[in-house]
Amino acid sequence: MDELKRKKYLHKILPYLLSFPSMVIIVLFLIIPLVYCLYCSFWRCDYMDFSKFVGLKNYIDVFSKEATITSLLVSLKISIVSLVIAIIIGTLLALWINSANGRFAYILEIMILIPWVTSQVVAAMLWKWLLKDETGLINYIVQQLGHEPIGFLSDKNIAVVSLIIVITWRVIGYVMVQLVAGLKAIPKEYDEAAMIDGVNKWQMFWFVRLPQLKTPMAISAIIVALSNLNNLTVPLTLTGGGPGNATTVISILAYRESFSYYHFGEASAMSIALCIMNFILTVAYVKAVKYEI
Amino acid sequence: MKYKITAKVFSFIGFVCIAVVNLVPFVWGLLTSLKPTREVAKYPPTLFGSEITPEHYISVLRGSFSTALINSVIYSIFAIILGILCAILIAYALTRYKFRGKKFIFMMILFGIPLSMGSAAMVVPNYMMFSALNMTNKFYTLPLIYTAYNLPMAIWIMVGGMQSIPYSIEEAAMIDGASRRYIIFRLIPHLSLPTISCAALMIFIGAWNEYQVSSVMVASNSLYPIQVSIYNYIGYFGQEWGPLTAATTLAVVPILIVFTWLGKYLVSGLTAGSVKG
Repeated sequence: MDELKRKKYLHKILPYLLSFPSMVIIVLFLIIPLVYCLYCSFWRCDYMDFSKFVGLKNYIDVFSKEATITSLLVSLKISIVSLVIAIIIGTLLALWINSANGRFAYILEIMILIPWVTSQVVAAMLWKWLLKDETGLINYIVQQLGHEPIGFLSDKNIAVVSLIIVITWRVIGYVMVQLVAGLKAIPKEYDEAAMIDGVNKWQMFWFVRLPQLKTPMAISAIIVALSNLNNLTVPLTLTGGGPGNATTVISILAYRESFSYYHFGEASAMSIALCIMNFILTVAYVKAVKYEI
Repeated sequence: MKYKITAKVFSFIGFVCIAVVNLVPFVWGLLTSLKPTREVAKYPPTLFGSEITPEHYISVLRGSFSTALINSVIYSIFAIILGILCAILIAYALTRYKFRGKKFIFMMILFGIPLSMGSAAMVVPNYMMFSALNMTNKFYTLPLIYTAYNLPMAIWIMVGGMQSIPYSIEEAAMIDGASRRYIIFRLIPHLSLPTISCAALMIFIGAWNEYQVSSVMVASNSLYPIQVSIYNYIGYFGQEWGPLTAATTLAVVPILIVFTWLGKYLVSGLTAGSVKG
C-alpha cells in the first residue's frame, strides 16, 4: 500500500522535477537579471556602487539628452527600413524557391541562409574590408566604372545606408526560410481550386497565398525587428557608431554608458527602455506563434 | 517554349546575383588571407597575390586565437550537452503530463525565445547580475550564458518533436517492464534523434556566434571565445587585414561545414513555431 502511495506521489511531482533544471536556468539568467536591472535603474550606480536612490532621475536624465533621442531614432529608422526591405526581398525569394524544384531550390535556400548563420562579428568585419574607403574592393569597382570613390563608411549619410545594407543582408535569409516553410504548408487543393477559378499570378499571390502566410510573416517580422533593434555587434564592428554620431544606435549608447563610463544606473534605464520595446514585440510573438500544449 | 527559356535565363541571373552578394564577402576574405603581408592592402587589388601563403594562418594560430578557438569548442559542447539534457527533461514533462502551472511554465519558455534574441537589452542586466554575484570572468560564465540564451528555443523544438512521438510506444515499453528512467533517458532520446540534432545545431550556432555578452563577461585571454578574439584583432593589429581575414575564415569554416551537412535540420529548427507539424 505504501509502495503505491509513494509511486502516486512520485508521479505527481515528477513533471516538476523534470522542469526544474530548465526553469532554474531561464529564471536565473533571463528573468532575474531584468528585475535586477529595473531595480538598478532607480539608483545612482556608478562603478556598480549603489550610492543613492534617485527614483526616476536616471530615466529623466537619459531621455532629456538629445543624444539618446537621436540614437533611438537612428535605431528605429535602421530597424524599420531594414525590416521592410527584408520582408519584400524575402517574400520574392521564397516564392521563387517554392516554384523551383529539388536540388536547385535546396542549394539556393542554403546559400541565402548563409548570412544568418555566420557570426555578426565576422560578417561585419568582412563587409568592412569590402567597403573600405581607400583600398576596398567595392570602391575599386566603383572607380573602374568611372565614378568617384564613395565614402561607404566615412560619409555621414552613406554610412547609415551601408549599415542598413549589412543588417538587411543578414536577415533576409531568415525571412525567406520562414516563408518557404509557410508556402510549403499551404494545401495543394487551394492552388488547384484557384487555378480552376482562373486567377492570374498576382491574384494567386494576393488572395490565395498571402492570407496563408500571415503567421510566418508575422513571426519573421517580429524576430527581425527584435534582432535589428538589439543589434549591437554589427554597428559596433562596422562603423563603431561613426562617423560622428551618424550610426550610434541606442544599444551602442547603452553599451558605452556602462562599459566605457561605468554609469550603470543610466545604462540600466536605457536597457529597460529597450526592454520595453522588446517586451511589446515579445508579447506579439507569443500571440502569433502556433502552439498546442 | 520561349517562355521557358526566358524563365531559365532569369533564374540563372538571379542565382548568380545571390551567389555574388552572399558569398563574395567570404571569398574575398579567404583570398585576402592567403596573400603575403605586403600585398594585402595593395591597390589596385588583385585576386591572388604573387604567391599563396599560409603565413597569416600560422601567425594567428600561434597567438591567443588558438586558445579562443579551443575555448569556443569547449563552451559550445558544454552548452549543447547541458541544453539538450534540460530540454529533453522539460519537454517530456510538458508533452506527457498534465500538471498545475504547466501553461505558465510554457508561457515563460515562449517569452524566453525573443528575450534571449534581443541580447543587446540583456547585456547590461546580465553583466550587473553576474558581477553582483561575482560570477564574471570565470570558466563557467560563458557556457552558462550560452545555455541560457539558447535553451528556450531548444525546448520549443524538443516539445514539437516529442509531440509527434506516439504515446503507445511508451505504453508498449512499459508493459514490457521498462522503467521510467529507461524511457526518459534511452527510449525517447533514441526516438527523437532528428529533433535533438536540430536543437543541438541551434545551440551550437548560437553559442559559437555570440559576441555581445561574451565581450563584457570575461576579461582574460585564457577565457575569450572566438568571436571576442576576432573583434580584438582590430585593436591589436590596426590595419592588418591579413591576420584578421585569416581569423574570420577560421571562425566561419566550422559553421559552414556543419551547416551544409545538417542544413535540413537547421531549416526545420528555424521554422519551429511558424508552421505546425
